[in-house]
Amino acid sequence: MTETGLTTTSLTLGYRERVVIRELSIAVPDQRVTSILGPNGCGKSTFLKALARLIAPASGQVRLSGDDIGKIDTRALARRLSILPQSPKAPDGITVSNLVRRGRTPWRGLLAPWSEEDARICRQALEQVGLSELAERPIDELSGGQRQRAWIALVLAQNTPYLLLDEPTTWLDLTHQLEVLSLLQERNRAHGTTVVAVLHDLNLAVRFSDHLILFGAAGLVAQGAPEEVITPDNLQAAFGLKALVMADPLTGRPMVVPH
Amino acid sequence: MSGVGSGKRIAGGWMLLGGLLVAAVLVSLTVGQIMITPAELLRGLMTGSGPGSLTLRVLRGPSTLTAIGAGAVLGASGTIFQILLRNPLAAPDVMGFMSGAGCAVVAGVAFGLLIPLPILAAIGGLVAAVLVAGLAFHRGSRQSPLTLILVGIGIGFFASAVSSFLVIRMPPQEAADAQRWLTGSLTARNWGHVLQVFGLGALLFVVLALQVRAMALLELGDELAAGLGARVERARYGLICTGVLLAAVGVAVAGPVPFVAMMAGPLGMRIAGVKHPASRLTAAAVAGATITVLAEVISRSAIPGLQLPVGVMTGIMGAPYLLWLLWKEVEAGEV
Repeated sequence: MTETGLTTTSLTLGYRERVVIRELSIAVPDQRVTSILGPNGCGKSTFLKALARLIAPASGQVRLSGDDIGKIDTRALARRLSILPQSPKAPDGITVSNLVRRGRTPWRGLLAPWSEEDARICRQALEQVGLSELAERPIDELSGGQRQRAWIALVLAQNTPYLLLDEPTTWLDLTHQLEVLSLLQERNRAHGTTVVAVLHDLNLAVRFSDHLILFGAAGLVAQGAPEEVITPDNLQAAFGLKALVMADPLTGRPMVVPH
Repeated sequence: MSGVGSGKRIAGGWMLLGGLLVAAVLVSLTVGQIMITPAELLRGLMTGSGPGSLTLRVLRGPSTLTAIGAGAVLGASGTIFQILLRNPLAAPDVMGFMSGAGCAVVAGVAFGLLIPLPILAAIGGLVAAVLVAGLAFHRGSRQSPLTLILVGIGIGFFASAVSSFLVIRMPPQEAADAQRWLTGSLTARNWGHVLQVFGLGALLFVVLALQVRAMALLELGDELAAGLGARVERARYGLICTGVLLAAVGVAVAGPVPFVAMMAGPLGMRIAGVKHPASRLTAAAVAGATITVLAEVISRSAIPGLQLPVGVMTGIMGAPYLLWLLWKEVEAGEV
């Protein structure tokens, strides 16, 4: 078996009266940026958590390169796949570098000292998010955008081929949203990291994603390239939204203009 | 630049913290009904005879060392719960684990059980912890830290009441000793106590050192911790066990001394200026030792001719701090 990538087979999430995802079989394209979209309460966050094994499926499987992720050793999984949950909370007063260092935990032996390799990867992660200068500052002194970039540096230091993020742009202003998303895109282009993010903003998702997964209240609506997914019919089905879809004058990709 | 600056500041903080402990120990060994000069202590240490030697070997040495050991294990224990529950009120003394341990020891004495005190204390502490978790449990929802703390305070009162009941039924002399011990007492400690608290304490510190990385992940929240490879539930229960056992080791040699476990963490953290769990635990152990040694020397020399139990002193020191914390929680709308 040479099955690759992050896939689900007949995945059902939730319990009896509250099933949020039913019998979903889907493949996340490898080494691409994928966004998960949908209205509130459609289960997109739940789906992302299931991909990272934070939630056990009611039935079905999530597979990583063919292995059932429920059966992978916790630390081994943490070396292959990282997840940044929504609005994480930092312990009081810890510095950016102290936070980022913890991203190396799955790679360190129980008694192994901090290695030059660990230090290099942390430095790199801080550089990529542009926080090298602020490494010794306490997280609580940073702005919202800087703070979010510090959290991203933590998962970058984890150095996994799969990177999952739950609403990484929530609470950020537009400039910082762009900044965070282009950062993820750069990581994808430079390292071939498969990025999967739950996003709110349709136009930003289109702008930065190679692949979209669109959920509605009744489950999956569409998946595929942005051009195939973002259509007036799909938007109506997922959000109950009447909207025009036009070509973005800057990129030529679809752009949503609500009525 | 700021990195170097904060590094220096932290080194200074550790020196201050260590210096305070050394100073407290010196005061504890020299001050009392009979004053002994440091020179006499040194002479006693070198020659093994004279008043200095008697002080070190019999009169004050064992009590001071037991105070160091008990304070260190209590300080570390408090910090474990403060980090796990993200609340400065969370500590084994506030949450009833130490009262539970004390209650088990008194019960053991009252019923003439031939079980070593540390084991009795450990059983009592663990039973209290299980009761707190069980009573605060609600199906389907995670209990808030404050619920756990309040339930713990209740369990603590209950355990203290049971202890008092058992003490009242004891013969007068035994009852007086037990009452004194229940307040938290370091009088007449011997080298057996020193060995016990340092031996068991060292063992638990090794276990804790192996758990500290998982703790640093738990601090980031359960989901991120799991994503970073921690077995969240297992790590949490392991840390709770270590925390309860550390507190039990302290109780076994010094009784349920109040407030040391609660105060040591925040104090050590402030003085040393550290944030990482490993550093916070170390700082709390040093601060706990300092507080206990100081409380011990004050309690035996404050009123000439009267030996107060050390718990009276830590109570006087800790109560205002507890009130201040509670007031802050009320201000923040948590209570």
